[in-house]
Amino acid sequence: MRDIITPVASIAASLLVVGILLAAIGINPFEAYAVMFTSSFTSKFGLAELCVKTTPLILTGLAVAIPLRAGLWNIGAEGQLYMGAFAASVVALYSNLPSYAMLPAMFLTAAIFGMAWAAIPAVLKAKFDLNEILSTLLLNYVAIYWVEYMVYGPMRGKEVYNFPYTDLFPDIATLPRFFGTRFHLGFFIAILIALAIHYIVNKTDFGFSLKVVGANPRAADYAGISRQKVIVYSMLLGGMFAGIAGMIEVSGIQLRLRPSISTGYGYAGIPVALLASGNPLLVMASAALFGFLYVGGSVLQTTYSVPIGIVYVFQSLIVLFIIAGQSLRRRD
Amino acid sequence: MVDPGFLASLLASSIRAGTPLLYATLGEIITERSGVLNLGLEGIMITGAFTGFAVSLATGNPWLGVLCGGIAGMLLALVHAFFSITLKANQSITGLMLVLLGLGITGFLGRNYIGEVAFYLDPVKIPVLSDLPYIGEVLFSHDPMAYFAVILAAFLWFILFKTRYGLEIIAAGEKPEAADSMGVNVDRVRYFSTLFGGFLVGIGGAYLSLAYAKLWTEGMTAGRGWICLALVIFSGWMPQRAILGAYLFGGLDVLSFKLQATGVGVSYHLMKMVPYVVTIVVLLFSVIRKRAAFGAPAALGIPYVRGKKE
Repeated sequence: MRDIITPVASIAASLLVVGILLAAIGINPFEAYAVMFTSSFTSKFGLAELCVKTTPLILTGLAVAIPLRAGLWNIGAEGQLYMGAFAASVVALYSNLPSYAMLPAMFLTAAIFGMAWAAIPAVLKAKFDLNEILSTLLLNYVAIYWVEYMVYGPMRGKEVYNFPYTDLFPDIATLPRFFGTRFHLGFFIAILIALAIHYIVNKTDFGFSLKVVGANPRAADYAGISRQKVIVYSMLLGGMFAGIAGMIEVSGIQLRLRPSISTGYGYAGIPVALLASGNPLLVMASAALFGFLYVGGSVLQTTYSVPIGIVYVFQSLIVLFIIAGQSLRRRD
Repeated sequence: MVDPGFLASLLASSIRAGTPLLYATLGEIITERSGVLNLGLEGIMITGAFTGFAVSLATGNPWLGVLCGGIAGMLLALVHAFFSITLKANQSITGLMLVLLGLGITGFLGRNYIGEVAFYLDPVKIPVLSDLPYIGEVLFSHDPMAYFAVILAAFLWFILFKTRYGLEIIAAGEKPEAADSMGVNVDRVRYFSTLFGGFLVGIGGAYLSLAYAKLWTEGMTAGRGWICLALVIFSGWMPQRAILGAYLFGGLDVLSFKLQATGVGVSYHLMKMVPYVVTIVVLLFSVIRKRAAFGAPAALGIPYVRGKKE
C-alpha cells in the first residue's frame, strides 16, 4: 500500500505546483485541469490520442528502463528514435518492396539503426568507461541534425513546396489506423514488446545478469557475468526500442520524415522509467500517465495557448517529488 | 591561405561564443570539486538566459539582468543541493530533472518574450590597445563580462589551490570523511560550492541571451550545458585550463556560420554536428589519458553520510 502513496502524493503535489504556475499567467487551473481530463477521456478521439501519445512513451520508457536495470543511463533515446525514423523512412521511400515486406523491413531497419546508434556509447562505456550520460546525450544532437540535413537536402520531397519534409510515404508503408481516428497498430506493437521484455527481464539468464550488474557489479564478476557484455547488450536493447518508436511515429502518425518528429519522447522516457522503477509492466502504466499529460498539454496549448513546456515541468516535478518522498521515508 | 581579417574576426567571435561556456564550466568545476555532480547545467543555463533577458527588458539594465540570471541559476542549484546533500538522493536523477524543469519552465514563461528586444551588454573598446591591427579586434574589443571571465578563472585557480577555502572544497570532494574529522563542515562546503556554481552557470546563460545571441528563444542553450559538462572533464577540473577549452568550443560554434558566410560548400546542418562530435572525441581522449593528468574528485557524485563507512 505504501508503494502507492508516494507516486500518488507526488502527482498531486505536481498538479498543485503547475496549478500555481497556470494561475500566475492568468489561467484558472481547475478549469484547465477539467479541460485536460474531459478532452482525453470523454470522446473516442480523446482516447485515441491518449493511445497515440502513450505508444512512443512505452518504447522510450523501456529504452531507458532496461539499461537502467544494469545501472546505465540511456539519455540518448531521443537520438535513437530519430535514427530509427530516418532508417524506416529510407526504406519506405526508396526500397520499392512489395506490400507484405514493406512494414516488416521498415521495422527491422529502424530497430537496427536504433541499436547501432546506441552501440556507440555502449562500446565506449564498456571499453573506455566513457560516461554514457554525456555520450548518449551528445549523440542526440548529432542524430537530430542528421535528420535535418537529410530533409533539407537529399531526402527533401518533390511535392512539398520547399518545406523541409520528405514526400508522403506510400500507403503500404503506413501502419493501419482504426475507428476513424489516429489510433494505429503501433499501440499493440508497443504493448507486445513491453510484455516480451517483462518476460525477458524476469525469466531469463540475461534478465538476471542485468539485475546483478545493476545491483552489485563486483558480485557480477564473482558470478562470472561479463559486465562489458551486459553493458553493451542492455544498451543495444534500449536503442532498439527507441528506434522502433521512431519507425512507429513516422509510419503511424507523421507519414513522412520531418525535423520535429518527436516532442521530447526520448527525454520523457527518463521520468517514465523512473516512475515505473524500471519495471516493464509499470512502464506501460506510467507511459499512459505521461501520455495523458502530453494530450492534456496539447489541449491546453490549443485552448489557452499554454506552451508545451508545461509538460516538461510536470514530468520533472513528479520525479523530484517521488525522490523526496522516498528519501523522507528512508529516514523514518 | 587564410585571410588574416577572417581569422581575426573568427578568433574574436570564438571568445564571445566561448565566454558563456567559460562561466558555466567554471561554475561546474567548483561544484564538482566539492563532490557534487550537477548534471542540470543545460536547465540552469537556459533559466539564467531567460531570467537575464526578462529582467533586462523590464528594468532596462542588462547588468541587473546578468545578476538576476545568476540568482535564478543559484535557486535551481539550491534544489539540486537540497536533494543531493540534505536528502542524499541520487545526484544524476536530480540533475537530469533540473534540465527538464529549466527547459519546461522557460518555455512556459518565455513564450511572450520571443522576438522582444531587450537591453544588451555592449563591447567596451580598450583605448589604444583596441586600435592595434587584428590583435585589437581579437583581444581588446569585448564587453566587460568577457574580460571578467578570464579574471574569474585566475581568481578561482587562486582560491582553489592557494587558500584554505579551496583546500576545504577539494577535501570535501576527495575525502569527505577526512575533511569531516579535520573539522570541515562537509555539507556546508558542498552547499556553498553548489550554489556558487549554479550562480556562475546562470550568469553564463544570461551572457548567452544578453551579450552573445542578443535575443531570447526557447531552448536557445542548444546543448551548451552538456558541452560544459564535458569541458569540465577536458580541463581536468582546473579553472585555468577551462579558458582554452571554452574558447576552442566557442570557435567550433561560430565556425559553421563563418564558413557559410564565406561560401565554403559545407552543409550548415552537418557543420552544426561538429561541436557535439568533437566533444565526444575529446571526452574519449580525456578518459584514456585519465591516469596521467586528468582526475575526477574521488568522492564525486557520492552523498556524504556522517559516520558511514564505505
